Amino acid sequence: MIELLQYLSFGPGGWGQALTAATFTTVAVAICGFFIGGALGALIAWGKLSGGSVVRFTADSYTTVLRGIPDLLVIYLFYFGGSLLLSRVASLWGVQGFVGVPPFAAGAMAIGVVSGAYQAEVFRGAFRVLSKGEIEAGRSVGMGRFLLFRRVIVPQVFRHALPGIGNVWQMVLKESALISVTGLVELLRQAQIAAGSTRRPFEFFLIAGAIFLAITWFSQLVFAWFERRTGRYMSGGLV
Amino acid sequence: MPEITDMQPVISLRGLRKSFGQLEVLKGISLDAHKGEVIAILGSSGSGKSTMLRCINLLEVPTAGEIVIGSETVALKKSGQGLAVADQRQIDALRSRAAMVFQSFNLWSHMTILENVIEAPVHVQRRPKAECVAEAVALLEKVGIADKRNAYPGHLSGGQQQRAAIARALAMRPEVMLFDEPTSALDPERVGEVLAVMRSLAEEGRTMLVVTHEIGFAREVANRVVFLHEGVIEEDGPTEQVFTNPKSERFRKFISNSQHFRQPEHV
Amino acid sequence: MDLIFIRDSFLQLLSGVPLTLELTAFAFVLGLIFAMLLALMRVSGIRVLEIPASVYIFIVRGTPLLVQIFLIYYGLGQFRPTLQSLGLWQFFRDPYWCGIFALSLNSAAYGSEVLRGALKSVSKREIEAAKACGMSGLLLYRRIILPLALRQALPAYGNELILMVKATSLVSTITMMEITGIAARLISETYRPVEVFIAAGAIYLAINFLLTRLVSWLDWWLTPHLRGVPAATPKAEHINA
Repeated sequence: MIELLQYLSFGPGGWGQALTAATFTTVAVAICGFFIGGALGALIAWGKLSGGSVVRFTADSYTTVLRGIPDLLVIYLFYFGGSLLLSRVASLWGVQGFVGVPPFAAGAMAIGVVSGAYQAEVFRGAFRVLSKGEIEAGRSVGMGRFLLFRRVIVPQVFRHALPGIGNVWQMVLKESALISVTGLVELLRQAQIAAGSTRRPFEFFLIAGAIFLAITWFSQLVFAWFERRTGRYMSGGLV
Repeated sequence: MPEITDMQPVISLRGLRKSFGQLEVLKGISLDAHKGEVIAILGSSGSGKSTMLRCINLLEVPTAGEIVIGSETVALKKSGQGLAVADQRQIDALRSRAAMVFQSFNLWSHMTILENVIEAPVHVQRRPKAECVAEAVALLEKVGIADKRNAYPGHLSGGQQQRAAIARALAMRPEVMLFDEPTSALDPERVGEVLAVMRSLAEEGRTMLVVTHEIGFAREVANRVVFLHEGVIEEDGPTEQVFTNPKSERFRKFISNSQHFRQPEHV
Repeated sequence: MDLIFIRDSFLQLLSGVPLTLELTAFAFVLGLIFAMLLALMRVSGIRVLEIPASVYIFIVRGTPLLVQIFLIYYGLGQFRPTLQSLGLWQFFRDPYWCGIFALSLNSAAYGSEVLRGALKSVSKREIEAAKACGMSGLLLYRRIILPLALRQALPAYGNELILMVKATSLVSTITMMEITGIAARLISETYRPVEVFIAAGAIYLAINFLLTRLVSWLDWWLTPHLRGVPAATPKAEHINA
């Protein structure tokens, strides 16, 4: 037990500082990926709801494919594919050799692209809960499309999407651990490094797990608070 | 199985009380049901009549009082503010002897009608399957839906489902049958077919306790009427006597109110 | 876009399919059994059972699967002497069994929530009718509650099967050469991530498509009671039960 605490100490020889930094990296890459996914998801949902058949088909293919293949493959695609692309582009400028795309960027984009597919479904479902009547009411008082969108559609969709989005966030957080395969020093990678160095994989992976648990638990509380706040105006309280 | 003589009541309720939280629904019910009696249990909503019936087969556990089926007293033990089942095996055995027909039929949706009817005889009473199937088909013919035996409950009309539920109850060869508002969930056109089946059961001499809103049925088929009001039995006697000479003012109002809206069902 | 290369990658990747399917099958079935156990513990009403189950589910669902895999494969290696004396070391040194173990423990946590929802959704009325016929305990569960709950759970649990296929890709990180493992090796050897991605992705999508169809068929087969009205069977002399 004392050993364990020693491992976590913030001084030299302790891994506390490294683990903390890695935790920040985890949260940072997850947030970036989540928001990229949010933007993509909103776009895809919009395409599915109001697009012509070609747009809808593209959007459907996107969600089907990205929800059907393992995230690890997508990460490999963005990391190695991105690096390949970057190396090609760099060679045009006279830079020889392999140029690696920053693992943070590759990871965030990979997560973003995958979570976008899930967030699209959440938004689409949330939009459907909205009744046609509310949109018609807005139109009938002369609201233009953009105003309607901003004042009626977005707030309502946001409220109904909150639970689903909360789930996607939890997913994104856990997926961030996969980015460790690119070498990005997020929490799991750091734990691996520490484990290798101290020959104590059990303790360090347990610690990594505990930190993840703390983050997911905290996120749950935050989302629950949000749901309570926005649910105040809905009939019957929380849906 | 303890023998039941004609003198000994089939069911005996003594001082039954039942509370749901703060609300006391049964305030001291005592009732004896004898073999061959067809008892109609009347009362307005909230009077406690369904609760009383459900206490008999322990779907509700009384807060106080005694229940005797045949010569067996239901074993109950103290639990918190009220009572709890002391011997689940006894309850399971007793339930085979007092079969219940529910307002919402409550057929098992994943089984065919035939499977519904043979389920309890085969798995609870452990009777040989071939015998149960033969009896089940006969019962389904008796209630008039033999051709639906391989259909699923979801495919039948309300009246057909209820008749199937009656066949299911009969399949257990019960000593007494408990009906909990059997026609309340049916469309008016379907009510008649179910009441007809119940009438034929009564004419066979079965012991039946029927919680119902159908005053006409009570008048024409039941040989005894019990009227509940707010958890207390206010009338209890032979049908003709109760209807021509009610003791309770509330009962008088009850029958006259009911007759304002509908003609008594002719069964 | 070199189609011949894609085709060659495709053929190489196919050799990983049996392993992917094996891992999926084993982990899914074991996970289902454990999920059922957890779900029953959660609805049992007995606190000594409910609390450990809830805690387990909370922890497993709150941590990444990869962490769990590493914990079991690398972490338990720390206790080799203990495991050896218990005769379990053969099992825990093998990435195949560690992978299946981790995957099934993970799946059980998520699956148990699906099953718990299904158990709770069984019609109270049908349960009451069964009790009124004298059914209780194991008989009640076996004949009424479980058959109805499992049918209710099928669509959602079918989804769990698809998720399991994707999850097996993670064991590529502990040296298993299933589809993703071979894909990673191919990419690092040929530096053609896009083509390999397309080939591997196509295989996974095909597997998912087939499994989805399988689940749909199973759902159809198990729910004749929810289909349209059949014609009434003619009055028969024969008893066909």
